[in-house]
Amino acid sequence: MSKDLSASLDLYRSMQRIRRVEEALIEAYHPANEMRCPIHFCVGQEAAPAALGMALGPDDVIYSHYRSHGYYMTKGASLEAMVAEFYGRQTGANGGVAGSMELADHEHHIYSGAIVGGMAGLAIGQAFAQKYLGESAITVAVFGDGAMDEGINYESIGLAVLKQLPVLFLCENNLYAAHAPVAVRTRAPSLTGRAAAFGIETETIPDSDPDLLRARVADIVDGVRRESRPFFLEIETYRFCGHVGPESDDAMAYRPLEEIQARKAADPLGALRRKLEASSAHNQLGAIDAKIEAEIVEVIAAARKAPFPDPAWAKTIVSADSYDPLVKELIEGAVGEFRGAQSESKLAPY
Amino acid sequence: MTKGVSRISYSAAINQGLRQAMELSDRVFVYGIGADGKSGIFGTTTGLVETFGAKRVFDTPIAEQALTALAAGAANGGLRPVLIHQRFDFMLYSMDQIVNWMALWRFISGGKAKMPVTIRTIVGKGWGQGAQHSKSLHTWFAHVPGLQVVVPGSPADAKGLLLASIMSDDPTIFIEGRSLFSMQEDVPDEPYFIKLGKAFVRRPGKDLTLVAFGSMIPSALEAADRLSADGVEVEIVDLRCLAPLDMETVTASVARTGRLVVAEPGWLRYGAAAEIIAGVAEAVGDSLKAKPRRVTWPHGYAGTSSALETDFYPTTDDVVTACRGVLGR
Repeated sequence: MSKDLSASLDLYRSMQRIRRVEEALIEAYHPANEMRCPIHFCVGQEAAPAALGMALGPDDVIYSHYRSHGYYMTKGASLEAMVAEFYGRQTGANGGVAGSMELADHEHHIYSGAIVGGMAGLAIGQAFAQKYLGESAITVAVFGDGAMDEGINYESIGLAVLKQLPVLFLCENNLYAAHAPVAVRTRAPSLTGRAAAFGIETETIPDSDPDLLRARVADIVDGVRRESRPFFLEIETYRFCGHVGPESDDAMAYRPLEEIQARKAADPLGALRRKLEASSAHNQLGAIDAKIEAEIVEVIAAARKAPFPDPAWAKTIVSADSYDPLVKELIEGAVGEFRGAQSESKLAPY
Repeated sequence: MTKGVSRISYSAAINQGLRQAMELSDRVFVYGIGADGKSGIFGTTTGLVETFGAKRVFDTPIAEQALTALAAGAANGGLRPVLIHQRFDFMLYSMDQIVNWMALWRFISGGKAKMPVTIRTIVGKGWGQGAQHSKSLHTWFAHVPGLQVVVPGSPADAKGLLLASIMSDDPTIFIEGRSLFSMQEDVPDEPYFIKLGKAFVRRPGKDLTLVAFGSMIPSALEAADRLSADGVEVEIVDLRCLAPLDMETVTASVARTGRLVVAEPGWLRYGAAAEIIAGVAEAVGDSLKAKPRRVTWPHGYAGTSSALETDFYPTTDDVVTACRGVLGR
């Protein structure tokens, strides 16, 4: 099998796994009401996380928005722990304290958060540390077009350029900030145009051809790593599911029905599958799909059997109450012999 | 512990604390508007860039949100950032990063993560700094679980508490009083670390407990001297930290003295003084011989005119008056 075909199959496996996990969770969400947290599914948007996951190494770091499941999975973190997290279990990725919106795996360096735009700022800090410590790892900030309305994104892009930080700003443009279309948010819709004003290299790629996206993302990630500089990548995509929760929100009519139908008809995963069905690897698809289905059944069953976290434990994890081992033995109670007794300063003019 | 001791100012003690933290760990870096010493931030960063270089000490754009997020990300990446705000008021732009990210980062990680960030911030009190340059919002941060709030009231405390803050694995808001910067005290030359969350009895006394912190410490000490001349022995409990809060030391003192005054360099309503009095009432309220009192800033703003500013801030006289009121003499 050619290298390209093998990569295509990997990409398909990754996208299909994300798609089917999301669909299975959507299906399981309501009947038992056991997943008791807001979940933002990413059905339709699988190509970006799948392509990124193939480009990154284990030490690279992702700070994602709350629609993070795809990035979490392709970063190599445990699917069982993700599902258990949504079920609020002790075996969850965050021990059951975070749910979907702040899903994270500190060993696999994937973090997410609910406050729009916040992750871009943390990402530049991580990239700063990587450069400071001379590491070869890079950081990816994942956010949506809605986050491009937040000021912190611009401050962060500016600082990343100023300090030449190894950070990829990956903006998933799905055209809607929750339910707000572009037209109600800006008269300057070019996201790359805004980013470019800060002196960062930019590119826009649609996710309609996942293989093309994969190849280009790999090049861009290599460039960020090799040259230790930031890059702004806009990936044009489309969300097939509702903004939040398992139900479709199409009845709100915030998106034209024709648009939804056209985008679903042009499903990137469907396009990739058709391409593979026509390839010499067509006979492998069945086994890939079957393995994914079996895994899903297994992880949902495991999550539902797992214990709930201990409320007493949750109260102990707010503060570390610890110090750098360098100085631990030097921490002491007081410098009691020093007792200043004097007036406040006379202030100099200023 | 100490080899030598030098009489230095509050700002020099902070400078020394930063310098020694950077010598101890090359993961410590210092940044913020003016941090590389062009202005020296009241002398607290003077000379650091010459010693440690621009990689570890650098000036920044006026972009408090991203600067604060940078600290959080860098801390998650293994560094120990020290971010400096010359004025407390400016850091309000970074409330999201502090409250929504740093404070709860460890919690949402399920207890796996650390967030060793120190944010130095200076309360501008005095010389006409006015309503947008002199606020002290220490209680905002002390209210948020996961944040440490440190309020040093003397040079020796400033150094030891700063070193401990920088080496702590939890995020710390380190609040300095500009009005304290030239205060002098004997400070050990060597690095030392004062454990966060422990109050310090600055002066023992049997008649009244005076709880104070930050820029109210000099007034508290003067007030105690004056009352001592009248035969009243005031016990001064310097909180040092508002979070973690050492209520044990406070309640133990009040249980002995039966009288309480709290002097807070900040606003009256929902303030630290209210929290202290509530905690005392719950723990040892039946040992109170008189109603406690608060000495705080009024519920308003310091106007820039010296006539207004002088009127606004409580003085040693106010502390003495409050103590006499509680003592009934």
